[in-house]
Amino acid sequence: MGLVLDFATTTAILFIVTSGLMMIFGVMQIVNFAHGAILAIGGYVAFVITRVGIPSLYGCFFAFIAGFLVGALIERFVVRPLYRRPLDAILATWGLGIVIIQVIVMIFGRGVQLVESPLQGTWNILGTEYSSYRIIMIPVALCIGGVIIALLNGTRFGIKTRAVIMNENLAESLGINSGMIRFISFSIGAGLGTMAGFFITPLSSVDPYMGVAWLTNAFMLVMVSGHSFLALAGACLVFGSIQVLVSIYVNPVLGGMAISVLAAATLRIRPKGFSHD
Amino acid sequence: MTKSKISTQIPMLLCLILVVAGPFAFDTYMVNTLIKAFFFAVAAITVDLLWGYTGYLTFGQSAFFGAGAYCAGLVFTHLGFSSEYALLAGVLSVVIPGLLALFVGWLSFYHGAAPFFSCVISLVVPIVVYQLVLSGGNFTGSSSGLTGFETFDFEIESWYWIAGAIMLVAAIATDIFVKSDAGKILVAIRDNEQRCEYLGLNTYVIKTLLLGVCGALAGFAGFSYGAFSGVVAPELTGFSFGTEMIIWVALSGRGTLWGPVIGTVLITVISSYLSNSIPFVWQLILGIGFVSVIVFLPKGLLPYVIRPLSRKSSLDAPIKLEEAKIQDSSVSGHAIVMDHVTKSYGSLDVLKNITLTGDPGDLIGIIGPNGAGKTTLMRCMGDGEHRTGGSVEICGRDLGKKHPEEVVRLGLGRKFQNANIFQTLSVSECLRIARTIRERPSLVRTSKVLALPAYVLDVMKVTGIDKKLGTAAKDLSHGEQQALELSMVLALEPKVVLLDEPTAGLTLSERRSIGAIFSALAHKYRFCCLLVEHDLEFVKEIATKIVVLYHGTILMQGDVDEVVNSKLVQDIYTGTKSSARNSEAEK
Repeated sequence: MGLVLDFATTTAILFIVTSGLMMIFGVMQIVNFAHGAILAIGGYVAFVITRVGIPSLYGCFFAFIAGFLVGALIERFVVRPLYRRPLDAILATWGLGIVIIQVIVMIFGRGVQLVESPLQGTWNILGTEYSSYRIIMIPVALCIGGVIIALLNGTRFGIKTRAVIMNENLAESLGINSGMIRFISFSIGAGLGTMAGFFITPLSSVDPYMGVAWLTNAFMLVMVSGHSFLALAGACLVFGSIQVLVSIYVNPVLGGMAISVLAAATLRIRPKGFSHD
Repeated sequence: MTKSKISTQIPMLLCLILVVAGPFAFDTYMVNTLIKAFFFAVAAITVDLLWGYTGYLTFGQSAFFGAGAYCAGLVFTHLGFSSEYALLAGVLSVVIPGLLALFVGWLSFYHGAAPFFSCVISLVVPIVVYQLVLSGGNFTGSSSGLTGFETFDFEIESWYWIAGAIMLVAAIATDIFVKSDAGKILVAIRDNEQRCEYLGLNTYVIKTLLLGVCGALAGFAGFSYGAFSGVVAPELTGFSFGTEMIIWVALSGRGTLWGPVIGTVLITVISSYLSNSIPFVWQLILGIGFVSVIVFLPKGLLPYVIRPLSRKSSLDAPIKLEEAKIQDSSVSGHAIVMDHVTKSYGSLDVLKNITLTGDPGDLIGIIGPNGAGKTTLMRCMGDGEHRTGGSVEICGRDLGKKHPEEVVRLGLGRKFQNANIFQTLSVSECLRIARTIRERPSLVRTSKVLALPAYVLDVMKVTGIDKKLGTAAKDLSHGEQQALELSMVLALEPKVVLLDEPTAGLTLSERRSIGAIFSALAHKYRFCCLLVEHDLEFVKEIATKIVVLYHGTILMQGDVDEVVNSKLVQDIYTGTKSSARNSEAEK
């Protein structure tokens, strides 16, 4: 039972961390290398909010808004001019990541900050004691996934976004302002990133480099998933479970590499990865 | 003095002065920093070769650098230091990273690999190596690395000159290579990989080998660094260090060899001073500088520093054209045979049971309305993996599942619909790359003579591009670009030439001259030309045979008159019968 919970919570956490990246990659075909820094912003939002004493339930909205604004600025001033040079856009977002992290260092210092978990202790699930905060991550991930899918499938914005994903030129000629779609999706993606940073904070400590550790795994998961959020959830489940297994039965260090290596191998064998279209 | 010479000589001279005079001018701390900077610069050269020249964005060179450093650290720590062990470590530091790089190359480059995929793999490599080092326990020293091992007992001045010499040798050798005829292939791959494949170049093998060499070189630089500093830390293998190399190269100027050399040295030196006084601000400045350069000055800073110093002048010694001897290997039998070729996407059949033959001297016009499958037909001839059924033979040899670069070696040349050329290379360089499979280019020299088959010289003379050998391909007019691509394809000495709407967007007079060329190619030089065209009038004048494609099937094939005058063709090709009549009446 403990193992099943490990699988489920690892999947949930991975999904939370990658969803923002996916939003951006799906629409713009750009991997946002600043994602690590954006996760860190979320962590510091959590840090500030617990200091000020705002209940953490509202905290995640603050985190989302902070990320949304940062994302909007990045899109407008850095990513947009590089639209025709995707590899350069990757590099520029990496550079921005450095800038954001250094700004955080200058404000909060380099040290590790601890944020108290809003939900402590363990819950008893079918006879297994398990960290309650990790369990909470499962409904959180389901909510995030549900909202995104509802947004993409049930709203006008979603239809336009999917049109841009499928065929940008055609979408533009039908009068869809694809620049605006890109702008909004990038901002939402960044917002999801900070929210993820907010949620993972109680699991790890807060330091300016906290996001970097998640970065490559998140990239690889998004790469194998193509455009689809369902594929992303599947990839998180499969690779997350393998990571858990390798960490427990082989070696935690190898477990840390499992996702990257397996995802790379998957892409080498099947370039489309998990997406089926 | 020419521009390219100035942009090389000034930085080279600066580096030389720095290397020779360093120990006399600087204090020990500075000398120490510079020695490390020289080794970093060697690693930066490899990043520049891979990214700046070849267009492969890599975050992974730190893995090879670090692996080389660990070769020194591990051998000297566990086996001890002696001249034999030093030699062993030196050899290992070239071989192990080199082999690792070849493996990474095999993983990253294959037929149809997206450039972005290769980039992501390069991201995984340093992470894997880093984790392996961390999990190595006492053997690798885990997170604290290896320190305190015995190493070469040189004076610091000697180290300085050794390091400087290594850097200069690496830089000058690379400089000679990238300016050689073979070095231009790297730029060609960056500009247009597809065209390279259709010129018979196996780009993924080239890139894998290049990565192997670059990995070995970076490994050796890492070995020297480890042997000098006496400290080997896991950070040397890490992903952050790999991105730092990219920052050095991007800031100073990718694709300019001496820019990254000077940039790496400067940034390393400034960093070592400023990171003590204002560490975070310096990182911040570097980050902002990096982002701004990427956004506003993608070529980096060096070209802007150098430009005011160089006057505009003519190019280096002009290239002389001469006629190449062609091996006479006339085709006996059919030049191309397609037997029941089909192509389907899922349940959609784009081509159904295409059977046609072409002989030397044929000029086959393939006509049909939009969506008839004309371009798909060309693709099935040019790429063995494209068709889903049936067989194709070129010059009597089966196409099988061969990739374009192998198909080209069977004797096929494909001209694309849009001028598919190497934008930043000059006309003569484009043509020389097209000759690669006939004439192995030199790794060190730039040839002053360009030998081309007589018919290529004809095409160039008729279209006037023989006067523009030094012009960059992107500065040619649309018609000239089409002529250049045609010349490149013909320079392969193919037996079968695929021409996909070669006259699209050309003026009437250009059309006429190009039509005359096609006739000559088929009738005089015995090529088998397959010409996809919309313009029935154009085809009518030059073709020997016409194939009508409609909804993926061959509706009709035969003599020009027979096809053009058939009621069937008039019905489908011009829409309705009556409108066909009207157009006849207008004439």
